[in-house]
Amino acid sequence: MKKLLFVTQFEELWFNAIEALMNLREAGFNHFVFLHIIKREDVAMHRGVGYLKEEAVKLKEMANVRFIDWAESLYEQGMEVGAYVSLGDPVAKIINTAKEEGVDLIVTGRHKRSNLMELLACPESIGVIRKTSTPVLVYKYMLPSGQTNDKPFERPLFATDFSPVSKKAISYLISLKEVIGKIEVMHAVSEKKLENTSTLNVQKVRKKYRKKLDDICELFREAGMEAEPHLYVGDTAEQLERAIQERHATMIVAGKTSKRKLQENFLGSLPKKLAEESRIPVLLIPPKIK
Amino acid sequence: MAKKVLTVDDDPAIVTITETIIEEAGYSPLTAQNGEEGLSKVREEKPDLVILDVLMPKQSGIKMYRELKSDKNLKKIPVIIHSGIAKRTFLRSQEALTEFGDESVPAPEAYLEKPVEPEEIAETIKRLLN
Repeated sequence: MKKLLFVTQFEELWFNAIEALMNLREAGFNHFVFLHIIKREDVAMHRGVGYLKEEAVKLKEMANVRFIDWAESLYEQGMEVGAYVSLGDPVAKIINTAKEEGVDLIVTGRHKRSNLMELLACPESIGVIRKTSTPVLVYKYMLPSGQTNDKPFERPLFATDFSPVSKKAISYLISLKEVIGKIEVMHAVSEKKLENTSTLNVQKVRKKYRKKLDDICELFREAGMEAEPHLYVGDTAEQLERAIQERHATMIVAGKTSKRKLQENFLGSLPKKLAEESRIPVLLIPPKIK
Repeated sequence: MAKKVLTVDDDPAIVTITETIIEEAGYSPLTAQNGEEGLSKVREEKPDLVILDVLMPKQSGIKMYRELKSDKNLKKIPVIIHSGIAKRTFLRSQEALTEFGDESVPAPEAYLEKPVEPEEIAETIKRLLN
């Protein structure tokens, strides 16, 4: 049995998102743990009032009412469910709960029409991604069109840099093979690598990276999954956005190498265009999965 | 020697109230915060009755109940489900788990949907222990 930690602030990720993740059951996820965090600033240290204990109790009970309703739906489908309502620092609470429960996936996110920049810049998600050894799915449920992303695992776009953490991501994706439709495997070769070089050398570079992508696809195929390689040339973020559009990707999957790399790849160099236009979930795989 | 009643609930306020009810009824209270801890306490202490919440961290009352009622040495211990989760949901969940291949388990000896008056809890405990 695998556990999924579903972090919710209610206004950001709703019950439909849980239902959309229910097919993870086919990959062994039978235990959902709900976590709602009441931020200290919502109930404490108000000028002249101090700690609003009654407000905290009220917020906690309101969350419990929601969780009982959600849990009933899942219990009736034979799922195992747990729930936490905590007061304090969201990142610390998420990390501690994930550790205490021994979860296999953390799901956090928002359903508002936010762009990828906002999605990834969500301080809670970023804080968790930096510190956890558990894969994190930053789930974006609502699409810009107003439609919903009900099948995030249908067509993931696996952006690989061929690093060791990418190999971890391959293993993790294979563990989810029951729910994944088709994997689009992509790599963007930097233009710098092709500067001042001959046509022959460009072809050699293409062949080299295409072979690497083919090898990865072969691993997925050996596991009984459908996979297709795609080589792009240019800025990673721009090409990522292009691949999302061309391949109709329902999710981005990437290995998280380090804090700096993460910022470099997804935040620092991300063009405004991508930030505004890309609106799909992101699954980040840490280098050391628990 | 007083009969032992184990309360399994993650809400400290509920645990305190239930402990008081058990003591006033002349029984010996035991407590656990989740199904995992509850099951281990059942095996260790062999209580005469279990009062069990459903929605809890680590292991729910649904799973603990199944494990308890599937264990030939423990299945005769009566269980009061004391939860905000509706009885209908509890029973349906057990049916769903049986459909998935788990062993069939009987319905609990009593089901109290929260909130419950202390008198009703006390009466139910007495009825099942006498």
